[in-house]
Amino acid sequence: MENNFIERAKSSCALGGAIATISSLPRSVPIVHASGGCAQTLSATYNLGSGYKGPGYCSGTMTPTTSIAENNIVFGGEERLEEQIEATLKVMDGDLFFVVTGCQVEIIGDNAANVTNRFKDSEVPVLYASTPGFLGDGFKGYEAVLSSLATNFITPSTKKDKKKVNLLGFTPGQDVFYKGNLANLAFLLNKLGLEVNTFFGDGETVEKIKGYGQAGHNLVFSAIHGRETAKVFEDRLDIPSILVDLPIGDTGTEAFLRQIAEPLKIPKNRLEEVIAEERAFYYSYFQRFLEIHGDLDYQRYAVVSTDINYAFPLIRFVSEDLGWIPHLVVINEEPAEAEESAKYAAKFETLTANVKTKLIFEANTGQLLRHIRESWPYNRNEKYYNQLSPLFIFGSSLEGSVAQKTGAMLLPISYPVTNRAVLTRGYTGYRGGLTLAEDIYSVLVSNR
Amino acid sequence: MSEKDLTEGLVYNYTSAMEPPTRDVRIEPTNAYLGTCRSLKRAMGQGCAKFNSRYFSQGIGCQLILALGIVRTFQNVVTIIHGPLGCASNNIGLAGFNKTARALKGKPANDVIWIHTNLDEADVINGGDEKLKNAILYAEKEYRPDVIVIGNSCVPGIIGDDIDSLVDDLTPLVSAKLVPVHCEGFRSRFVASGYDAAYHGLLKKLVDPPEVIESVIVGAQDEAERLERIRRQNSRTVNLLNVGSTSFGDEVELSRILTAIGLKVNVLPLYGHVDEIARMGEAALNVSICATHDDYLIGHLRERFGTPFVIDTLPIGIKNTNQWLRAIGAALNLSEETEKVIALETSQLLEALEPFKKTLAGKSIWVGGGETRIFTTAEFFQSLGMKVLGLKPHNFDRFAIPMLDDVDDPETAVAVAAGQPAEEIVYLKRLKPDLYVGHGGANGWVVRLGIPTIPLYGQSQNHMGYSGAFELARKAARALLNTNLAKKVGANVVLPFKQAWYDSDPLANIKEIQPEESLRSAVQ
Repeated sequence: MENNFIERAKSSCALGGAIATISSLPRSVPIVHASGGCAQTLSATYNLGSGYKGPGYCSGTMTPTTSIAENNIVFGGEERLEEQIEATLKVMDGDLFFVVTGCQVEIIGDNAANVTNRFKDSEVPVLYASTPGFLGDGFKGYEAVLSSLATNFITPSTKKDKKKVNLLGFTPGQDVFYKGNLANLAFLLNKLGLEVNTFFGDGETVEKIKGYGQAGHNLVFSAIHGRETAKVFEDRLDIPSILVDLPIGDTGTEAFLRQIAEPLKIPKNRLEEVIAEERAFYYSYFQRFLEIHGDLDYQRYAVVSTDINYAFPLIRFVSEDLGWIPHLVVINEEPAEAEESAKYAAKFETLTANVKTKLIFEANTGQLLRHIRESWPYNRNEKYYNQLSPLFIFGSSLEGSVAQKTGAMLLPISYPVTNRAVLTRGYTGYRGGLTLAEDIYSVLVSNR
Repeated sequence: MSEKDLTEGLVYNYTSAMEPPTRDVRIEPTNAYLGTCRSLKRAMGQGCAKFNSRYFSQGIGCQLILALGIVRTFQNVVTIIHGPLGCASNNIGLAGFNKTARALKGKPANDVIWIHTNLDEADVINGGDEKLKNAILYAEKEYRPDVIVIGNSCVPGIIGDDIDSLVDDLTPLVSAKLVPVHCEGFRSRFVASGYDAAYHGLLKKLVDPPEVIESVIVGAQDEAERLERIRRQNSRTVNLLNVGSTSFGDEVELSRILTAIGLKVNVLPLYGHVDEIARMGEAALNVSICATHDDYLIGHLRERFGTPFVIDTLPIGIKNTNQWLRAIGAALNLSEETEKVIALETSQLLEALEPFKKTLAGKSIWVGGGETRIFTTAEFFQSLGMKVLGLKPHNFDRFAIPMLDDVDDPETAVAVAAGQPAEEIVYLKRLKPDLYVGHGGANGWVVRLGIPTIPLYGQSQNHMGYSGAFELARKAARALLNTNLAKKVGANVVLPFKQAWYDSDPLANIKEIQPEESLRSAVQ
């Protein structure tokens, strides 16, 4: 994907992702060194756009920020930053403070790292990450913040606990269901006898995060995101990584568990027990929909238009678990290396439906309609026309009018999701697969 | 107070410039002041509050967001944000809202389309003109828009991309009208500068000189009579200038009232079509419902076309709706009709409000948000027998000074802060109002204190005019019927402040710059 403009990017910038990430860490407070509008605007991108997750502990209008203006651009903003950090430590109650930077101060060359360093002896840790918007999208901010945690905060440990794993690649906000996804994974991995370090999940504390250096492995749930962070975990903390797909439903979760069992030294019998148990649970519920599925012919052609984290896992779920037709996948981002894109494309070869799923990388949201139309022979007013129907789109809330124009039903899953309200929901694991099935069938029956 | 006083000394002849002066210079508001109605009036008189800033600061907003908040509502428009991906990425959270608002206002419910030029590290060094050019051509090809608005952000502002030259070069190549809007966030400490930036672009590129257009006037004997009839028709045509927070209900109600005194109403420019905007200069009167929003637009239209305007107040509550209406009636020589409408509407409304007064009288209230809206809203609740404990204007300037007198108790607290909730929260924790009426983004924090809230405005809320007053009272009374959510949340959810902050004097957080420093800031 060439680096060009983007029509309706489904993200914010690095600073936006950084604020979303910090405000999702336990009792953590971002200090934004930027113009007065960045903190609020970028927070709103996720606070509203991510199933109404809200500002968390401290973002949105609450975010401490230097709110620099034109005179700081001329004279530099370092003094102002020092003043703001000092004041923030007096006013805000947090276990971790995180200085992050916007475009303006990076361009004028403020040394925010230096200023932050003056607070190294303060009662609570004050960390720093460089996060100007021009670094890229929200995922980049996640990488910057977590990399800084791994570099400057998490204690290296030579004593590794093989039972502990760090979960990487879940970007709060960009992943609308990150909370539920992490909770479901914790449930599943606990059953295998593992302990999970989630950064953002339930029961986490800053103190616990400090000890993440003892983990035996990192699990990275993305083909792109979290890789930079994983590299820091590998290099500085000596923790190897395993790249996995978001496990959703029976097929995806089994593949995930079998992939990690060996490196994580899960006893064979325990692995089989857990799979059997969870699978039995899964189908005991899954079978409830079989009547309506059969009676109303709820097999659909599926189009997936999401970020890269959800794309393959979703199409695999609908193809392998639901038995739908995995027609087209349009991913709104692409790995930097062609080799990585090819590797991602290769995953689609594992789908067992009797069609070849078409995969397209396309940054511009408005191009989805064209891709759908081009994926199927045009209606030339034939008497008998084999239509792309019934059609179901998995995308974001921005796909509403495409769904309307193509006569499809839509379930918004990938960021942004503005027409659903999300709290504990998650789609990972066997149980998440059931939740997803519930949501899909709820859409299908919504007019009854 | 008359319009002359409110805009006295202000000039609006900036269209030859690339961008208007920011509000910092043009209006000299303050966004950092803590005191009372009485002390604020004194401070505004002395002109010292405008230099105030803070030690501990939270976000003060970005003018780009307010500028785009206007232009992205136009029909068949594509907005290009010239900057990195984050600038105006909050469009994402509002795209559905804007689309629904279009439908609610009876306009084509098309998707809101925007494009980021996606400036990266290389562009910071080399400039981003090429990406902007590609984005404009893409917008033209894919969407055939009537207007393409280019919102300029901090990065091109600092590195010096010349978007105006690019726009000039591309204008002959595209059929859409190209409108550059200079709304770089860092340039202003006052988000309202964004209104001026957007209207500057609109005035330069979209508003045509008025002309008598061909129209079929049935029964006109000759050309002279035809023109006379058109003139007469236009002399009864007013522009009702809407803002981002006017709902369709507000627009219907205000149009109803104005129609009742014999006027023909154009509601614009938000959600307007480019052809409607082009003819803004033809109206007999520009009617503003928010001075903070409109002074640049109507000031310019008066300088350019001689169109008089009404800018006195916001039509919220009985007193201010009547005052607003009287100003319009007086401007168009319709005072007699106006008084008839006022008499009828007021008596009917007062009767309808009686049951709510019983619930609301004696209860206390705090109102936060845009200056003119909060003072008029507070005045209305005060008229129902409620006690106004305090107000939090996002900024404070000349347009709201007369409104300070509408608050009964001059010792009522005023905490001026753009967005930033920290100081307001301390006041609220101490004063514990029975009800909080707040701007978007504020209500969530306040309910965590255990205080019930209602929104100050909203897409489906009618708060303006007579029906709006009824709705406001009805809503406040309903909110007080059950405050369990606030109680439960207040007892179980914390705000991220230290106890020391709650115990402190928030006034100590306001930095008052010494005169010589002020001079330096003023020069910059």
